[in-house]
Amino acid sequence: MSSTDQDEALISAALDGSARAWERLVKRYESRVYNFSLRLTGNQTDALDLMQEVFLGVYRNLHRFRGDSQFTTWLFRIAHNKAVDMSRRKYMVTSLSSLAGQEQSDDDVLDHITSDTGEQDPQRLISNSQANAEIIGYLDILNWEQRLVVELKVFQSHTFDEIAQMQDISANTAKTRFYSALKLLKAHMEQRHELS
Amino acid sequence: MSCHETSTLIPDYFDESLSLQQRSAIEAHLHSCGDCQEALADAKSINVHLRQWQDEAVPQWQRVPAQLRRKAESSRPRFSFWGQWAPLAGAFVMAVAVMFNVQLQIQDNGLTLAFGGTAAIDADTIAAQLEQFEAQQRAAQQQTLQVLSAQIEERQASNNARLLETVIGQFGDSTTRSLEQVMAYFEAQRAEDLQLMQASYQRLADSDFQTIRSMQQLANYVQYQGSQLP
Repeated sequence: MSSTDQDEALISAALDGSARAWERLVKRYESRVYNFSLRLTGNQTDALDLMQEVFLGVYRNLHRFRGDSQFTTWLFRIAHNKAVDMSRRKYMVTSLSSLAGQEQSDDDVLDHITSDTGEQDPQRLISNSQANAEIIGYLDILNWEQRLVVELKVFQSHTFDEIAQMQDISANTAKTRFYSALKLLKAHMEQRHELS
Repeated sequence: MSCHETSTLIPDYFDESLSLQQRSAIEAHLHSCGDCQEALADAKSINVHLRQWQDEAVPQWQRVPAQLRRKAESSRPRFSFWGQWAPLAGAFVMAVAVMFNVQLQIQDNGLTLAFGGTAAIDADTIAAQLEQFEAQQRAAQQQTLQVLSAQIEERQASNNARLLETVIGQFGDSTTRSLEQVMAYFEAQRAEDLQLMQASYQRLADSDFQTIRSMQQLANYVQYQGSQLP
């Protein structure tokens, strides 16, 4: 039985009310979703919250999954939407708490998902790996849209067409954001190497 | 970096959806453009660096949503039904058994289930049997007492008669009057002894009857306690 067939069997059983099938389905993908969330949010607490929201959204919409695309594509579309929702909520909380009253662009809105963690030491947030802490540090210099494109391209291996569809943008816009992100990362890495 | 194609070429290079023809064009440009070669090397380096990410372990969390847990529980009605109602059903059966005085007896020829009255009948039967036993005991003891008294009286009379004959033979007719007085004394003494003996025997018999009544009270008490059990 292929991975797709296994997904469909588990989805069918879960729709029939099998908690065990649902749990198996979640276990197949929770690591990918959790690490996706961790790279986007930069801390374990927000990553866990985001992962829970993603799977809750998957469960509530499971009956709508028709199998037209792969389950992972559908899953990460939901994950993307939930991440955007979380960034907006965080922006609202930050705005209300700071009472800055300054006009901010949409780009600034999406940046706020990582603003809470930007000033913290990534090593304290990602305890298992020095490499992970360093990567979180790099990703932290990107704005939310750039960060999301890098995540979907580098870590999730989506095509630019898929990324464009998820974000409701053109493929060229997705490519531009990706290239902008690469330039920022290159500059940051060179700066770090010079400093070290 | 002066090549104006770099910003589109680098993302295209990482786009797996490109056709072979498009990819060949990129390779051809890269072969002749140093700027794009340098930019591609940097992009590959960044890509490799980012891919050094080591997946973090997922913390413990509640995988199954509450809705699905409820749904899964409700999809197992048999287990949950009996699990929910079995204690209540057991309590109901016990209540019925107490209210209707249900008795289950295991005998050689099988089980006997009886409803009501049997315990009361048993109590009456026991009481009647004890009364009957007491009456029988009283009658038997009375009869034994009468026979024993008669034997004692006969033996004492015989002994007194022999004693009187012996005394008359030794002292002659002169003493007949005195002997008659002695004889009267013996008779009175004998009657008194006989009464004392009968009284002692009666007390002994009464003690036995008291034992029977105590047994009867004990049986009544046990029956009463049994009827008070839930």
